[in-house]
Amino acid sequence: MINSLPPGFIMFIGAFLIPFLPKLGRQVYMVFLVLLSSFSLFNGFGTHLTINVLDYNFIINHSDNLSLPFAIVFHIAAFITIIYGSHKDDWKENIAVISYAGAAIAALHAGDLFTLFFWWEATAFTSVFLILGGNTTRAYRAAFRYIVIQVGSGMFLLAGAVLFLYSNGNALLGQMSIDDTSGLLIFLAFGIKAAFPFLNGWLQDTYPEASEVGTVALSSFTTKLAIYALARSFSGTDILIYIGALMTFFPIFFAVIENDLRRVLAYSLNNQLGFMVVAVGIGTELAINGAVAHAFAHIIYKGLLFMSMGAVLYRVGTCKASELGGLFKYMPITAVCSIIGAISISAFPLFSGFVAKSLIMSSLGYEGLSLIYFMLLFASAGVLHHSGIKIPFFAFFAHESGHKPKEAPLNMIIAMVIGSVLCILIGIFPSVFYQILPYSVEYQPYDFSHVLSQLQLLTFAAFAFICLWHFKIYPPELNSTVLNSDWFYRRMFPAVISNIVDGLKILNEKFSLNCFRNYNIIKNFFHDIMFENKVIDREAGFDTQIVLQIFGIIVFILIFIHLK
Amino acid sequence: MILLKLIKKFGKINSIVLFICILLLLLEFAGHRHGEFQIEEFLFFPALFGYISCIVIFKVGVALRSIFMRDEDYYD
Repeated sequence: MINSLPPGFIMFIGAFLIPFLPKLGRQVYMVFLVLLSSFSLFNGFGTHLTINVLDYNFIINHSDNLSLPFAIVFHIAAFITIIYGSHKDDWKENIAVISYAGAAIAALHAGDLFTLFFWWEATAFTSVFLILGGNTTRAYRAAFRYIVIQVGSGMFLLAGAVLFLYSNGNALLGQMSIDDTSGLLIFLAFGIKAAFPFLNGWLQDTYPEASEVGTVALSSFTTKLAIYALARSFSGTDILIYIGALMTFFPIFFAVIENDLRRVLAYSLNNQLGFMVVAVGIGTELAINGAVAHAFAHIIYKGLLFMSMGAVLYRVGTCKASELGGLFKYMPITAVCSIIGAISISAFPLFSGFVAKSLIMSSLGYEGLSLIYFMLLFASAGVLHHSGIKIPFFAFFAHESGHKPKEAPLNMIIAMVIGSVLCILIGIFPSVFYQILPYSVEYQPYDFSHVLSQLQLLTFAAFAFICLWHFKIYPPELNSTVLNSDWFYRRMFPAVISNIVDGLKILNEKFSLNCFRNYNIIKNFFHDIMFENKVIDREAGFDTQIVLQIFGIIVFILIFIHLK
Repeated sequence: MILLKLIKKFGKINSIVLFICILLLLLEFAGHRHGEFQIEEFLFFPALFGYISCIVIFKVGVALRSIFMRDEDYYD
């Protein structure tokens, strides 16, 4: 029986024993849970557990060549996160980490949409505690925004699943199309979690607000689960290629101007997801291999980068580029691990990013998608700029910041060293790495042309940065907030609503003077109910006025065209 | 002597990167470098693409500062 349970389930359930254990026992217990869960990976492919409720078959445990690589890397990520967080005596965070990882792993093994929905929401509800673990007012508010959006994504999934069941008679998780409503709703649900353009605000908004351990856990699971779901249901959907290309493109510029280094990494995470989404959109065997390989390598090097920045945050108390610098002398091991992560994400040959990204770039070449290819090439140079150079340079070099912290705690160092070693091993032995990918494809990343092109691209991009810095053209980092798509629901919509309410109030006052008395009574009654409880009470800012004016002009033009 | 002076002026690590850059350009003549697309096989294409991309990203980033940058407590 225990063998037929999905991997991850035991982690999800076992998490609730954690409060009753002493600190040291807790860490050992968590590692034990991860090991126990990973045994179920050896069950082989196929459906291992279905439960029939009310004539509906819930496929609880189904594994195949697509879910296996994700499941392996999720277990590795969970293991590394547990070690990374073991200096802390915080059982609440421990529960959140292990149950969140468990829910994400179990979600990979869902065979139907309703089981997926359950785990989809479970990842949302467990991970929100990681953001609350940031223990600041900002984290508290961010957690609320996070849960609203994540549950919103789940609602789209549920609506899509119900429609799908209604029209098809089953809700199996398989290839879908965005041409019908159910497919579109499910696509949107996956898109929110995969941080598509304009749906990405939650990612950069909330991840950097979590604690140093929480962010590492968050960076691994939710978004990659969405990539897995897209690969399962929407591989070969053309629009994904364009969405993915935009995703690689835009976050680069925001990452360049962002000051909080963990937020820079969140933008970079978004950019990396773009590469995977493009690959899923292409949908060939080579491309799907590329998406999976990239997700696998990405979880490890992105975790490594978040771990190094988390160590800086833990020791210095801030992650702002404007307040950091010169830490190499004090935290050399953290710095070296961070540089290894940076080299990996930039896709230098002999590191994990290179062997994964090459698959995607080659599949674009085979399909003849030249524009997308060059957009992704441009984005590769961008990755080097913001993740490869900006992160280690501003934290560990640049100018002297005056901070003299100790080296990171031993457990953090162990976790970072494990991540670094994996990055290098994957890069050196790509043929072993390729064996776990869904399809067996003969591919050789290390040939003269590939290596030379990549090295030229990256070193010259680095050289450009050096020139900019050396000749003092590069502006200093400033304490600031960079507006992102979360601005729409954090500033614009509240302000628009309050503007409409104000307008209605004025209309109301003018109108009511000439009205009949009876009408007044009824109107005032509704007015009191709707507007007098000061829920919506915000000042409209300058930005909002501009947006409203533009919006007004567009509406005016539309009406004009329509009348004509 | 002039070279040493230049290295001193440009910094050790910077000079090493510059040296690697020149080496990579020279390697271009060691064999035929294939590309996924025709234009990529143009002489020094990846090097130029990388250099120009980085400058463009920097320029656009600086330009975007004035549009998207707000005070640190903008949302508070």
